[in-house]
Amino acid sequence: MDWVESGKMAVKTLTANKMRSSLTMLGMIIGNASVIAMVGIGQGAQRLASEQFESLGPNVLFVAPGSGQARQRTTNLPRTLVWDDAKAIASQVPSVQEVAAQKQGQYPIVYGGLNSSSSVTGTTPSFLSVRSFDVAKGRFLTDLDLQRNQRVVALGADLANRFFSDQDPIGKRIRIRNVSFQVIGVMRPKGSFLGSNQDDVAYIPLTTMASTLTGRTSPYGLDVTFISVSAKNEASVPAAEFQITNLLRRRHKIVSQDDFTVQAQKDILQIVGTITGGLTAMLAAIAGVSLLVGGIGIMNIMLVSVTERTQEIGLRKAIGASGQDILVQFMIEAVLLSAAGGLIGTGVGVGGTLLVATFSPLKAAISPAAIALAVSVSGTIGLVFGVIPARQAAKLDPIVALRSA
Amino acid sequence: MPQSTIVRLEGITKVYGMGDTTVHALAGIDLTIEQGEYCAIMGASGSGKSTMMNVIGCLDRPTDGQYYLDGQDVAQVGDRDLAHIRNQKLGFVFQQFHLLPQLSALENVMLPMVYASVPTAERRERATEALMRVGLGNRLQNRPNQLSGGQQQRVAIARAIVNRPVLLLADEPTGALDSTTTREILTIFGELNKSGMTVVMVTHESEVARCTNRVIWFKDGQVMQPYLAPEDLGTVTAA
Repeated sequence: MDWVESGKMAVKTLTANKMRSSLTMLGMIIGNASVIAMVGIGQGAQRLASEQFESLGPNVLFVAPGSGQARQRTTNLPRTLVWDDAKAIASQVPSVQEVAAQKQGQYPIVYGGLNSSSSVTGTTPSFLSVRSFDVAKGRFLTDLDLQRNQRVVALGADLANRFFSDQDPIGKRIRIRNVSFQVIGVMRPKGSFLGSNQDDVAYIPLTTMASTLTGRTSPYGLDVTFISVSAKNEASVPAAEFQITNLLRRRHKIVSQDDFTVQAQKDILQIVGTITGGLTAMLAAIAGVSLLVGGIGIMNIMLVSVTERTQEIGLRKAIGASGQDILVQFMIEAVLLSAAGGLIGTGVGVGGTLLVATFSPLKAAISPAAIALAVSVSGTIGLVFGVIPARQAAKLDPIVALRSA
Repeated sequence: MPQSTIVRLEGITKVYGMGDTTVHALAGIDLTIEQGEYCAIMGASGSGKSTMMNVIGCLDRPTDGQYYLDGQDVAQVGDRDLAHIRNQKLGFVFQQFHLLPQLSALENVMLPMVYASVPTAERRERATEALMRVGLGNRLQNRPNQLSGGQQQRVAIARAIVNRPVLLLADEPTGALDSTTTREILTIFGELNKSGMTVVMVTHESEVARCTNRVIWFKDGQVMQPYLAPEDLGTVTAA
């Protein structure tokens, strides 16, 4: 009995019981679809995160308070990173272009009857160029605003829209935590960054932030949430990283452990890659378990099928099928079931991935490696889990099998 | 037509179980069946006639003794070779027909040739021919559940003869049929025998046995009457 013949026979048997065959395949379909979709979505998340960090520009560095380890362990970070550190970096580090200190908080903002709890960032005029933001209307903060602790605010696009919709916001007064601020400008829309809306932010002078909203909370000076730094060019990033680290160690009189962290875009990308890569692997592993369960489902149904078709097996043996013929027949059925399930599952997985890619910000991508893996694993699962039922069928004694009416 | 011996059994025994609980299903059988014979194996239930059928049909191996089928010693050959012998030299007809429900009549009849690796075109041709021989030339594409019991058994007969076996074995072939269909089936067996086919059937119905030329009477695992004329059946059944 040749392979083509066995294959035709198996298709005939499987299609004779469509309901059962499709339910058996369901396990493999779900398993395959979830592996492909999970890997696709995981890689999509990875790409999205990478692209957002890349959008910061290749020559951007961040200085944040706390050592790398401390930042992982606690949110209660030291308040040792101050505005003076930012000024020192700007004036003393040669490979640095510009520096913007940022101090962030979340405060209620009120205009007329409208209110909103939004992010407030106290910063310096250089913020625009360091972080590549633009003003759509009016102006941004100036050095004079900072010197005079002016109560002025530049609104993010969404925030401006929410409060003023079609009115001109410039010159209007809004209240941030009950302190009155005059609107001097509206930012150009920037989109969201890692899930936080960058257009729902109010920008005020760093000095005003410290004097009216947060108060001076650090004995070291005007403490900041982080400092954004732009290097002269991409090639000078490593030098800038090194020089900033040295400068801050000197200024903070560090003996052993740094109380700050300097990260270039490349470092962050690497961390993001590690995290999302691990996440993708975990998703794939969980989905892989459902593949395994699908395989066990096939074994189960094949075992039932052997019991049900005892007479058929006996008859086939009586008219000349050898044990091996029967073994091959049942193996082919199992492999066909799992491979067909695998292919359909691949289709569903690809479809699902495309849907996610279309209707969500996740740039879900179809991974050929995941498809190859899922299909070959499902074929192999058919082989592995088909063996036990097939051997049981092959071992049947034709006399007993024929008599089991 | 030159006479030749199809079945030659010498001292065949079949013992089931081990130790104290052994059952001698066959207790030293000597028997020959010649080419072109039409015989019935009869006996009370438990007399060993089914075991005999299984041994002759190469579905079971004897515990001891020699079995020559068509001149070939088959008493102790391996499973694979036994499957090949069943395929090439034997045709089976069962009480329950044993047709595969998902296949058409034609495909059921083609099945033995699948295992014999006959080319597809030839399979179709020979299967059609066999079905025409049993009077089902117009039912090729019907599934078993679209056929009556008698028609199903005729498909089974076509399947049994399609590989041109030297011996046609039938195990209670009319056991599941009414008397009219029984006569039709027996007519087919008679015609096949007239055309030279050696036919052996196991039955417990005297009327069926009377259609054959020779009755082999079994009792307690032994052949009591190797050559009983069917018209003398009354003497053994009365005894």
